Amino acid sequence: MSRSARSAPVKVCDLVTVKGIRNGLLFVLADDVDIADVLGELEHKLEGQTKSDGTITAYVECGQRKLTDEDERMIRKLFATHGNLIVGGFAGAPTASSLRRKDPYVFKGTVRSGMIIEHDGDVVIIGDVNPGGQIIAAGDVYIMGHLRGSIHAGASGNHQAVVAANYFEPLQVRIAHVVRRAPDVRTRPAEMEFAYLDGEQMAIEQMAYLAQFRAKMS
Amino acid sequence: MGEAIVVTSGKGGVGKTTSSANIGTALALLGKKVCMVDTDIGLRNLDVVMGLENRIIFDVIDVASGSCRLEQALIKDKRFDQLFLLPAAQTKDKLALSEQSMQTIVAKLKEQFDFVIIDCPAGIEHGFRVAVTGADQAIVVTTPEQAAVRDADRVIGLLEAHKISSPKLIINRIRPQMMKNGDMLDIDDIISILSLDLLGIVPDDEHVIRAANQGEPTVMRPDSPASMGYRNIARRILGDPVPLMNLIADEGGLFKKMRKWIGFR
Repeated sequence: MSRSARSAPVKVCDLVTVKGIRNGLLFVLADDVDIADVLGELEHKLEGQTKSDGTITAYVECGQRKLTDEDERMIRKLFATHGNLIVGGFAGAPTASSLRRKDPYVFKGTVRSGMIIEHDGDVVIIGDVNPGGQIIAAGDVYIMGHLRGSIHAGASGNHQAVVAANYFEPLQVRIAHVVRRAPDVRTRPAEMEFAYLDGEQMAIEQMAYLAQFRAKMS
Repeated sequence: MGEAIVVTSGKGGVGKTTSSANIGTALALLGKKVCMVDTDIGLRNLDVVMGLENRIIFDVIDVASGSCRLEQALIKDKRFDQLFLLPAAQTKDKLALSEQSMQTIVAKLKEQFDFVIIDCPAGIEHGFRVAVTGADQAIVVTTPEQAAVRDADRVIGLLEAHKISSPKLIINRIRPQMMKNGDMLDIDDIISILSLDLLGIVPDDEHVIRAANQGEPTVMRPDSPASMGYRNIARRILGDPVPLMNLIADEGGLFKKMRKWIGFR
């Protein structure tokens, strides 16, 4: 959808507008100019980014413009190669409901070695997760059983995701982009605990603290 | 109409073939008509363990390809009139046996026998799928080692995917002394990870090796601890409520037996 034929000159600063929003940054891309100009300006803006600690989720809004797969790839590439931004989506600023839009997925049974459960929301397991079993969730992961496998919560960049289990003895836990593995020395599994991100560090706390953590986050 | 039971483990060398031979023989010992099927095409062993290697004329591939009738390939055991073996081919590879032909063979065998014991090859590829395809039930064999338990867990998942629900568990090669010292995975730990019903435990026993080399299943010698384990397993398969081994007391008993048998006191 090229509209570069428009005669009215556009000011360069209007091509890409950056706004700070609650969950990260919102990049508003002008929809009435050629996409190449917009991408050039985006790259220019991103180049000015200095590396700071932690990652920021970038939401892209492109108004009336329909992005092609190619455009999307280019934009993702720009974000990936500059600064520490993670693309959170192309549908503009997230609304409260879109952040937790999916119903939780409830799995009843043992997640055995070789099984992968992927869900675009919270995952609840009524049973154990064995070593070699894997759960990848965009939201939280709750296990009513013994966690011995690998979990990735907040897989699409949600830093507020948690991993909770009755018996907490995971091989590996990831929340957003932070990875933590089990200690090499086997210890007794912790009872009723959950893992969460405290800044860039993963922390583990008693389940009773979960409500407090949630209150603090919202 | 009989029952087809597949004996599987995922990992190699945990005692699938030994367990198949001993469970089959123990069931025959209890008066059942049993056929053992070796599906480890290319690496057949069950005939060796049973001491029937020299009697093989046709094998399961010949049956599948129609070169012979099923009855021609069945080898009658030298000890029991009610015990038969359908041997695997040694020259072909696993792909020579298809799931359909296996289903047909097992269905035919089930008409004639009370139990069809299917010895599964190691691994989870084609050979595994073929072995599992005709089975009504499954026995998963594992040893008290992390690697064996991991593989068993994977196999249980695959069995569930093959609609064989609630397989039964055999823990093989238990060394009571090491388990007591915590050097070996505990029976309770294994059951809690795999969350299966325990069909039985078999202690590590030198006699198993000796018997296998002689082509004589261990269960034929009632005085060996492994033999007791397999006999109990066979009775439980028949629904005989042998009290599930009181592990602690049994461990003590076995321990004592083992010591006597090793030569202490």
